[in-house]
Amino acid sequence: MHSKASLILGAGFMLLAGAAVIIAMDWPMKAKLFPLAIGIPVFCMATAEVVWGLLDPAARSEAMEFKLSEQAPGRAGAGRTVRAIVWMVGFLAAIVLLGYPFAIPLLVFLYLKLQGREGWVLSGVFALAVWGVFYVVFDQLLHLPFPAGWILQWLGLA
Amino acid sequence: MIDALLEGLLLVLQWKAFAFMLLGIGVGFWVGLLPGLGGATTLALMLPFIYAMTPVEGFAFLLGMHSVVATTGDITSVLFGIPGEGTTAATILDGHAMAKKGEAGRALGAVLASSLVGALVGAAALALAIPVVRPLVLTFGSPELFMIAIVGIAFIASLSAQGGRGMLRGFLAGGVGLMVATVGQDPQAGIARYTFDSLYLWNGLDLVPVLIGIFAIPEIVDLIVRGTSIAGDLPRSRLNQGAIEGVKDTFRHFWLTIRCSLIGTFIGIMPGLGGAVAQWLAYGHAAQSARTAEERKGFGRGDVRGVLGPGAANNSKEGGSLIPTVAFGVPGSSSMAILLGGFFLLGLVPGPDMLTTHLAVTFSMVWTIVLANVITVIACFVLLNHLARVTAVRGHFLVPVILVLVFIGSYTTNNHYGDILLMLSFGAVGYLMVAGGWPRAPFVLGLVLGKIVENNLYISVARYDAAWLTRPVVLVLMALAVAAILYPLIQARRSGARSEKHA
Repeated sequence: MHSKASLILGAGFMLLAGAAVIIAMDWPMKAKLFPLAIGIPVFCMATAEVVWGLLDPAARSEAMEFKLSEQAPGRAGAGRTVRAIVWMVGFLAAIVLLGYPFAIPLLVFLYLKLQGREGWVLSGVFALAVWGVFYVVFDQLLHLPFPAGWILQWLGLA
Repeated sequence: MIDALLEGLLLVLQWKAFAFMLLGIGVGFWVGLLPGLGGATTLALMLPFIYAMTPVEGFAFLLGMHSVVATTGDITSVLFGIPGEGTTAATILDGHAMAKKGEAGRALGAVLASSLVGALVGAAALALAIPVVRPLVLTFGSPELFMIAIVGIAFIASLSAQGGRGMLRGFLAGGVGLMVATVGQDPQAGIARYTFDSLYLWNGLDLVPVLIGIFAIPEIVDLIVRGTSIAGDLPRSRLNQGAIEGVKDTFRHFWLTIRCSLIGTFIGIMPGLGGAVAQWLAYGHAAQSARTAEERKGFGRGDVRGVLGPGAANNSKEGGSLIPTVAFGVPGSSSMAILLGGFFLLGLVPGPDMLTTHLAVTFSMVWTIVLANVITVIACFVLLNHLARVTAVRGHFLVPVILVLVFIGSYTTNNHYGDILLMLSFGAVGYLMVAGGWPRAPFVLGLVLGKIVENNLYISVARYDAAWLTRPVVLVLMALAVAAILYPLIQARRSGARSEKHA
């Protein structure tokens, strides 16, 4: 995972920097000075990183920061990671389709029920409590504008 | 001068001004805790309320609010690994790592105590520096500001990972951050760069969704994968202990805290750099305080010095950034630019008048920063045990709440779904960086500094051609950048030679 992630990142940065440099070529000098001054060294460094990774895949370099836990290694860990991504993408879809006021209690309820295996009552009460805090703080006190979901708009309910 | 100092204190202690300050502190407390809701935005939202206030009441309210935001933002960073504020992201690296080791109380104690020390240093700097700061600010032109930014990136890139490959990745991450900052309308020629005909990208990538994505998403994924509480299976009794230990840590590393406070103050004084830069420079300095390469490995895994440095700097910058705002009407950050609007609403003109006719009002600002921070830190210590217990709450109760905060925090930056997509995209980048052992700090610093570096580089070249490279302060800063790169390499080689000798 360690070297695979590094290779993906290194190659991604290499492509990004290469594309950025090519796109910048057409701009006037004032606009392209900085993108070229940064893009070219980034492309060279990313290439060096990729080559280093391919020649010596076992070499590890630890960043001085947070590390992923190794409590669920292998396929179990990969499965849970995919599940985490599905929850986040699902929440985004719910926000776009239903709007924040409906997506929030839905996410909290489903997460507690399906992922946490909590009871119906506790899941429902907790979902309502989170929705209540959202409504009071962000809607009533801060008056932040949250658009209605696409489905509500389509049904003419918003 | 002493009379004005005392008069300033008495002005703040008048019941009405004091009540407005408490109200401001209350607002700032929650704004700091909630990710995405920035101090600058709230300052702008609160500005219309000061019309009917006197200058002292108005500043007690606004500064009371703004000067505590970074303190409570640190709490969110430590407990959840989400930056409560853009200026508190560096606290996550070691603060959240401590929380996961069951040392949330100690991390919170350390960050609160260092925040208080930082705020006091910043306030003292504001009180003392006003008469002497003018020549300092005037010495720093675009070439020097450009070099300060380069020194900052060099510090972080060379210190945030181990060995030659780690350094390459550090510089690469910093470079990518600078590149990402070029997205949006170019400030010199007005060309839309890398916007792909999207109006959303014209203003560039907003820092808040990027920060939330790159720091919070990997933590959330990890929390879901682990399926435990933040502190894991550590015994519950340990969680809320150690706050006093954290306070003691501040005094154990007192000079480090003071030095980081001074870094924050200095960055605050320099127009255009801002608190988001100060925290990373302070973190870099804290990491550099490690005597051996082995000791440095502890950073990012819960070394309390990694909490003390950013904690002190992001509060001391408040006093520092007020210096050019009050003395010359030159705001050092977006928050200070909004506060400058407050000056005009209250009928005050920044400049020499603030140091003569309205000196007592200027000192009332110093006292507001001091009192607001003291009150907030006391309130936080009272609530500390309850706050630290959050790390023991079962993961499946925390995850949906954190997800809601993260999605709201990102969306409210521009009220655009693009902010959520941006947050998730950089979340994926952050996850890969964590999985691959890449440092995230240089990337963030590059992104924060991108516009500043570009503007100052362009002005330097346009104004001085290549001659800007020979300015004395530029040469000193260049030497400092080279030292920042070479020092860890020399230290690693020495430590390797020493261990070979022992073997």
